[in-house]
Amino acid sequence: MNTSIKALASGSAWLVLLALTLSGCASSPPPCNGPRTNKLDDAVSMVQRALSDGCAADFDRYYNDLLTIAEGDPKAENKRVFSEFLVWSTDQGILSQRQAKEHYNRYFNVKFVTLAGDYNNCSHTCPRRDQVMQSMQRELSDKERGLMKISLDNSGYYRADELYQEVELVLEATCTACAASR
Amino acid sequence: MNLLPVLRVPGAPSTMWVRHLIPGLALAFFLPPAAFAQANAPTIRLFPTTVVEDLRQTSSVAKEMETGLQEVIGRLDQQQQLYNESKCDGAESDPGCQRLAKQLGATYLEMLGIMEERLPDMEHTVNNTRLSLEKRLRSEIGNKMTSWTLQETLLGGNKQGTKPPAPTMRGRSGMRLSERFRQYYQLVASSSSQNDQSLAVLASDIYLDMDETSELIARTREEIARATLIEQLNQSFGTITPEMMEVVGGVKSVLFGDETANVQVAGPPPGSIEQAYRSPLEN
Repeated sequence: MNTSIKALASGSAWLVLLALTLSGCASSPPPCNGPRTNKLDDAVSMVQRALSDGCAADFDRYYNDLLTIAEGDPKAENKRVFSEFLVWSTDQGILSQRQAKEHYNRYFNVKFVTLAGDYNNCSHTCPRRDQVMQSMQRELSDKERGLMKISLDNSGYYRADELYQEVELVLEATCTACAASR
Repeated sequence: MNLLPVLRVPGAPSTMWVRHLIPGLALAFFLPPAAFAQANAPTIRLFPTTVVEDLRQTSSVAKEMETGLQEVIGRLDQQQQLYNESKCDGAESDPGCQRLAKQLGATYLEMLGIMEERLPDMEHTVNNTRLSLEKRLRSEIGNKMTSWTLQETLLGGNKQGTKPPAPTMRGRSGMRLSERFRQYYQLVASSSSQNDQSLAVLASDIYLDMDETSELIARTREEIARATLIEQLNQSFGTITPEMMEVVGGVKSVLFGDETANVQVAGPPPGSIEQAYRSPLEN
């Protein structure tokens, strides 16, 4: 009787130890640390490794880290670095093509991704004109970061700013005209 | 600066209507039909012949009013100068000063009369122009375009950061009249290089200007009768009210320029020319 109890206790201990070991392995996440360098190319390599090693869920944080590093060394070439990084992310299946385009264009293109839409202005844009303008305003801040502070593309940023003002004016007039027909 | 204190209505500074009206209307005066040739492009038709004709008519009515006011204001100016040189301030009981004050008041009434006479025509033509543009904007930009196509139209071929060819006007900038004329003229002079992007902005600008102007004319018309009555009462006593002096100064300022309101549309500083890279991800 004593022997069988001892055997049972010993077996349970092994089982508990095995379960703890297994659960320890399963819950140990990759570190997903941010890139610790001021060189954009090196940072991109580090981020690519991290993303490939199970940190894909942190993509937005990594992207922001890269933007911050690029701000420390602004140059026209940075646009290409970000474009290539986003194309790589698409190839790896981390981002969809559409997400990659949004990430790039929001920061590095004059055009506003906020204005994407398939319905006409009277029916779709005008009823939510304030929200659209607020979103454009936020996107303009991102363009200031991407175009001016990272890529030194001042004229691109100023054109985006001008476009913002033109859209505001034309939408005000158009939406007034749309409302007048009701 | 108050143009017509006696015409003022709450929430609508009395100078506004002339400030907005005359430059907006004068635009049409300077616009030759060729200025809108680009509008006949198949993609966006904001200035068809009817709108051009409305603008032309509006401008001629505005010009008549402007000319009429200018002459009266010249006389008011002379009378006021004479009044001041005769040291009538503080000597209102003097018969000579009373006569001068009555003359001044009569000219002031004449000015109100010109406005009363011209405003209905002006209101009519401004409304026509406004309605024509309203219809065009609704159809061409409101119903035929999405926000994305609007953006592409505004950008035209200038996605890469170069400025559009024509200066951007802001009809409600409060800029002095002569400067507005000069800029409108420049805008029209370069109109042969205009395309949809600047036409959309121009049409919007004129439409909003006309919309506001239309409302202000209506309010002003309501107030003119009252102002005339008050001045007729003043005539009985031969007094010059501070409001009258203010009006004369205000109208002069509007017609001959207001230095303090010479606000230029801020343009961006020149940017970097180096923009060779184009990402495959760009839209």
